[in-house]
Amino acid sequence: MSYESPIREPLVTGGKTAGDVTADICRPLEGKTTKLWWLGFGLAVICLCILVYTLAISSFRGLGMWGINKTVGWAWDITNFVFWVGIGHAGTLISAILLLFRQKWRMSINRSAEAMTIFAVMCAAIFPLFHMGRVWIGPIWALPLPNALGSLWVNFNSPLLWDVFAISTYFSVSLLFWYLGMIPDLATIRDRATTPIRKFMYRFFSMGWNGSARTWARYEVVSLILAGISTPLVLSVHTIVSMDFATSVIPGWHTTIFPPYFVAGAIFSGFGMVLTLLIIARKVLKLESYITIGHLDAMCRVILLTGSMVGLAYITEFFIAWYSGVEYERYAFLNRMAGPYWWAYWSMMTCNVISPQLFWVKSWRRNPNFIFFMSIIVNIGMWFERFVIIVTSLHRDYLPSSWVMYSPTPTEIGIFIGTFGLFFTFFFLFARFLPVINMAEVKSILPHKPHADSHEEVHTPQ
Amino acid sequence: MENKTQYWKGTEELNREPEFVQLSKNEFAEGLPLEEVLSESDLNLSSNRRDFLKYFGFSVSAVALAACNKAPVKNVIPYVVQPEEITPGIPNYYASTYKNTPVVVKTREGRPIKLEGNTKSTVTHGGLDAAGQASVVTLYDSKRLPLPMKNGERSKWAVIDKEIKAKLAEVNAKGAAIRVVSGPVSGPATQSIINDFKAAYPTTKHVVYEGISYDGIYSANEMCFGKAVIPTYRFGNADVVVSFGADFLGTWLNTLQYTREYTTKRVPTKENPVMSRHIQFEGNMSLTGTNADYRFPLRPSQEGQALMSLYNALAKGLGLTQLATPTKLEVAGNGVEESAKVLLNAKGKSLVISGSNDPYIQSLVNQINLMLGNYGQTIDLDNYYLQRGGEVSFPEFVKEAGSLGAVVFLNTNPVFDTAAGEQLKTALAKISLTVSTAYYADETASVCQYVAPNSHFLESWNLTEVSRGKYSFTQPTISPVFETRQAEESLAIWSNNAAITNNTFNYYDYIRSYAKANIFNQSGATNFDAWWNESLHNGVFDLPVLTAQVPSNNVLASDLVSKINTKVGTNDLILYTKVGMGDGSDGNNPWLHEVPDPVSKVTWDNYLAVSKYDADAMGIEQGSIVSITKGSATVENVPVLVQPGQARGSFAIALGYGRTHGVKETIGINMYPFVGMENGTATYTIADVTITKMDGEYELAQTQTHHSIEGRDIVREASLAEFTHDAGAANDDKLHNQREEDGKLFNLWKEFDYKGHKWGLAIDMNACTGCSACVVACSLENNVPVVGRDEVRRRREMHWIRIDRYYAFRTENNAYVTKEDDYDEMADHQNVKAVHQPMMCQHCESAPCETVCPVLATTHSSDGLNQMTYNRCIGTKYCANNCPYKVRRFNWFRYNDNDKFNYYMNNDLGKMVINPDVTVRTRGVMEKCSMCVQRIQAGKLNAKLEGRKIKDGDITPACAQTCPAGAIVFGDMNDETSRISKEFANERAYQVLEELNVKPSVRYMTKIRNVEVTKETTAQH
Repeated sequence: MSYESPIREPLVTGGKTAGDVTADICRPLEGKTTKLWWLGFGLAVICLCILVYTLAISSFRGLGMWGINKTVGWAWDITNFVFWVGIGHAGTLISAILLLFRQKWRMSINRSAEAMTIFAVMCAAIFPLFHMGRVWIGPIWALPLPNALGSLWVNFNSPLLWDVFAISTYFSVSLLFWYLGMIPDLATIRDRATTPIRKFMYRFFSMGWNGSARTWARYEVVSLILAGISTPLVLSVHTIVSMDFATSVIPGWHTTIFPPYFVAGAIFSGFGMVLTLLIIARKVLKLESYITIGHLDAMCRVILLTGSMVGLAYITEFFIAWYSGVEYERYAFLNRMAGPYWWAYWSMMTCNVISPQLFWVKSWRRNPNFIFFMSIIVNIGMWFERFVIIVTSLHRDYLPSSWVMYSPTPTEIGIFIGTFGLFFTFFFLFARFLPVINMAEVKSILPHKPHADSHEEVHTPQ
Repeated sequence: MENKTQYWKGTEELNREPEFVQLSKNEFAEGLPLEEVLSESDLNLSSNRRDFLKYFGFSVSAVALAACNKAPVKNVIPYVVQPEEITPGIPNYYASTYKNTPVVVKTREGRPIKLEGNTKSTVTHGGLDAAGQASVVTLYDSKRLPLPMKNGERSKWAVIDKEIKAKLAEVNAKGAAIRVVSGPVSGPATQSIINDFKAAYPTTKHVVYEGISYDGIYSANEMCFGKAVIPTYRFGNADVVVSFGADFLGTWLNTLQYTREYTTKRVPTKENPVMSRHIQFEGNMSLTGTNADYRFPLRPSQEGQALMSLYNALAKGLGLTQLATPTKLEVAGNGVEESAKVLLNAKGKSLVISGSNDPYIQSLVNQINLMLGNYGQTIDLDNYYLQRGGEVSFPEFVKEAGSLGAVVFLNTNPVFDTAAGEQLKTALAKISLTVSTAYYADETASVCQYVAPNSHFLESWNLTEVSRGKYSFTQPTISPVFETRQAEESLAIWSNNAAITNNTFNYYDYIRSYAKANIFNQSGATNFDAWWNESLHNGVFDLPVLTAQVPSNNVLASDLVSKINTKVGTNDLILYTKVGMGDGSDGNNPWLHEVPDPVSKVTWDNYLAVSKYDADAMGIEQGSIVSITKGSATVENVPVLVQPGQARGSFAIALGYGRTHGVKETIGINMYPFVGMENGTATYTIADVTITKMDGEYELAQTQTHHSIEGRDIVREASLAEFTHDAGAANDDKLHNQREEDGKLFNLWKEFDYKGHKWGLAIDMNACTGCSACVVACSLENNVPVVGRDEVRRRREMHWIRIDRYYAFRTENNAYVTKEDDYDEMADHQNVKAVHQPMMCQHCESAPCETVCPVLATTHSSDGLNQMTYNRCIGTKYCANNCPYKVRRFNWFRYNDNDKFNYYMNNDLGKMVINPDVTVRTRGVMEKCSMCVQRIQAGKLNAKLEGRKIKDGDITPACAQTCPAGAIVFGDMNDETSRISKEFANERAYQVLEELNVKPSVRYMTKIRNVEVTKETTAQH
């Protein structure tokens, strides 16, 4: 139980008790698998098969199956990589930073958001792996393992190596945080489990949680520590990913604005994806009382903030390119706006700059249908942003003799669709077998039951 | 003290119950479940220890055997008797001759792998062009004929020799005519063999023809001077060169000699700021045209007019009689006037040449040169280049073909490379004996009864007169790979030559005796064997040069006026040859297809070049396809290329494509049927062709699709006048604010002290003509794979060195237009200048590629090279992204042993050409120019073995070695006396993209053009 000021919107509506919380959140994972779930899961698995097939082609026949060439060495592969990594940042921000800021509204969304992060990072990791020419040896040589060759070390100057550290740290810390946070809830499910398999699995994964005061105290401390570790990751991981471009000499890449710009963009797109997932999940799983309109409103405000930062960054980039007087830099931006890929640039601008500003209107940011639509727009815009940064900067750089056009092949498109398959396969499994809301935390923010002689219960519109 | 307290296990011990006492005597109180273990029915274990050992042992041996089975069997065959000079790993070099070019062949373990020009040649001075470099690949061509053929089936030499001799005797006895059809014979021993054949069969006559005919020049010189020769053109003596459509740097006659000599006059120095003036009049943009100081678009049908105008302008200036021309002639703007002005100032030191095959136009050109006093100075008829041979012209041969008794095609393919090819094909069916000595089962050989396949020049002995009195020897560098036989030997055997023993004829002895009787005796040497060995060693031998005379003239210019065409119709079609493919006889050589055309950068196709003006008028654009018709000749699905500089009303397409036989696949379109015939000479400029747009599109595979430099400071130019005033004129330093005292740019990083060598390259853009010999040389030296049209379309060609060709468009008032949007809007692109810039890895000292490789696959050496470690590369491609020069190449597929890339790296024979000193890269790794590090290492090792320091010139990378113009210089920057140090100290030297401060080790010399600086708006370079 916690005390919330009456002027705030309640974080859990519908007068729920602790028992209600358990029942509501355990219902989807204890009942029979619904047809809707099978449909979604089936589609996701089909896309996952596409992923396996296209990755196999790329690895066995060669990267020539993609559309990249001597001038544009990275295109859809790294665009998708940054896209997925960016999406992951919302989860970590919600779990970690909002925890440190004691924003209690994070409690009903952090489990799903963190799950989204983990699955997004898995999808992202596919790209640096499979974009390598020699996939069968590259991942091993990229690791700084002492060896008998001198030792032959990796290149610590290279941003790609920093990526290795960043992504692996990000994945492992997020996984740990997510899992440890889930243990009390797994224990709850264990205690309600009826079938032998469930009893076994949930008992195994809840690691003997007994709910004692001492255990809870340790749980809180661990959460705080992991939050502390995860917080810098929100900023550092995407900063490092942005360094893949910022440390190069290519006009359009070679700019110091990338770290903050990318981080803001990551949070922007991540929240977009969280909204996309949760607006559907809350409806289908009937969790509107926990993921309230107020939650959606708050997330939209984050989108508004970060979207404005992204828009500001675009304008800054453009201004500095002109102000610098460097003809290559100026051309890079003119080419983005008016060159052969102008359509990608203007998609990016409308989706990313104009659309978040619509959230100034209160009624629009409290309308789930509108928010859902906008969240998709946000992610489309962010995908195009990475595409524009990567492809338009590369395809026309310093020497005009090497200027080319790039277009993706079916294999590349298949890989991208396939990563959605991977993502949603895991997400559907998550929704089916794991509690999508952190029951323990939510129980702590249930509003007071009003005593007979105390103030009126505050009603707020749902 | 002993502990007396005893604890008991249970009451049973306390009470000492009998069971307990019994059990306590056993080792194990509870007993062992022996029964369970020993009773077999209870055995749930699938195996016990013995079984485990059985299975384990079997598995191990099974796996070992299986693994053994999978290991490929490779035979290592040692020498039973080691050949004397061969040390495995050490190359041997032999002199030889490719067509008319003296070369040196590098062999490894008994097989030739690389050609270079022969520096001892006084004609080519060590240059070798793209086609010459590529020719080593055809030795290992899987499409070559390994055995003689009889009626399309494989046969034996003994069989076909017998039958051919019998038939020849029969034909001769009947008195029916025999013809030997060959190309121009520049080998005197070969000519001698043909003469022997004629003596053996007196009805024989020799037909000499070429797919690309120069009969016009022969006939003109015969008419004017009584000498049916092609003279030697001495570009080295010419201060002014005016060419009417003659691509003398690319494909016209002796390009290697011309390139070398022309270049000596194109590089101004501070001490001697002079350059020749080169003016080009042409319809199609040729390689030569891209190098001209002034270029005037001129339709071929206007050439006659232009020459007559020029004649009159010169005559006026010299006070001679002008021609009475039929109409008022005004063509090519003020080009004729300008040319006349400079020509009159350079009498005896100029050259006027024409690429036309019309004898009357060539005669008029001769008259112009006579007026200018060029004969004896820049035109040498006495030390001629080629002499006309043959007794019967080709048209006559075609006419009489149906009534001939026998024909021997000596290394020629007229069914393909003449307009009368189809006609000839039907006629051949009526001849009782048709023989071809073709190397491949080409178009002509496929319709001949017998094919006696010629050996490759690398398997042959021969003697060639590359220019009058200058001989080049051909030595075999490998014993014949298959059972082929030199054409000369075949002819000798068929003519029952006296020197035949055991049905073999020793052509080597024949050449030796020929040389003794005809060359040695004029040489001034005394010992023949010593002379012979030295000549073979050097590969070349020159007899004393004759004094070049002014010939006596038998023609009046005024008589020519009525014979020269001045009618200008619609649509002139220019049939030209490409620098790579030439006449098409090597159509199966993938490098001739993969090397980009120096002007259009198109690979793997021929196309119709159209001017922008005409393209807009016809509603076509690049990517469209058209059909071309003239009379009965018609072709369809011809891809269109919009060519800047193409004269309006003129169209151009390359000959040599569309081979159907003797090649792996048909590439391009055969345009030989369009070659015209006028007054008995072939004509390659066809008037009044019909060109119609067709539906559909065709994407040409170009290695460069953006042709403007966008105003960037990548190529720096100045006029000669500006250069004379200030040698660093083009290098106005925009970065002077950021320079330290030592001239280097401000630098955050610590400099590396290169204590030993510091390798660098200097590239002179005035010398580079764009011929692309370096591209092929580099590719063959470094085992660069051929990728084919589809991959080039996807912009994935693998060339380590490329030649960027930029156009500078200009408006009518000569203002430069460099931005794409602006020049796209211009109505026409006739007024255009071009520049060639070879681009390879710049070996930057602060290389952007080195910092970003995650696994350190690319590093910097202590002698200044950017190294590429293929075995470490995992293929992230960040290095290629970060390279500002875009010189890195990625292996997108496996290009060897892959049926999708079925070129010479896909079969064992073809792989013999691979350079063993250079790794063949696998799929997924990055590669790039290494400055021929294998040659650098070899040079260092050599010097070490000889106990001395490396001298400048010891080491030459492949590109520098082959360059016919000497445009690339390699050397040690740390050696102040080296040539490259002097080049770098030159005021013209600059670094491309210097402001990035990556500190490239390659520097370029600014391009100086010999142009008058007219009222121009400020030129953006």
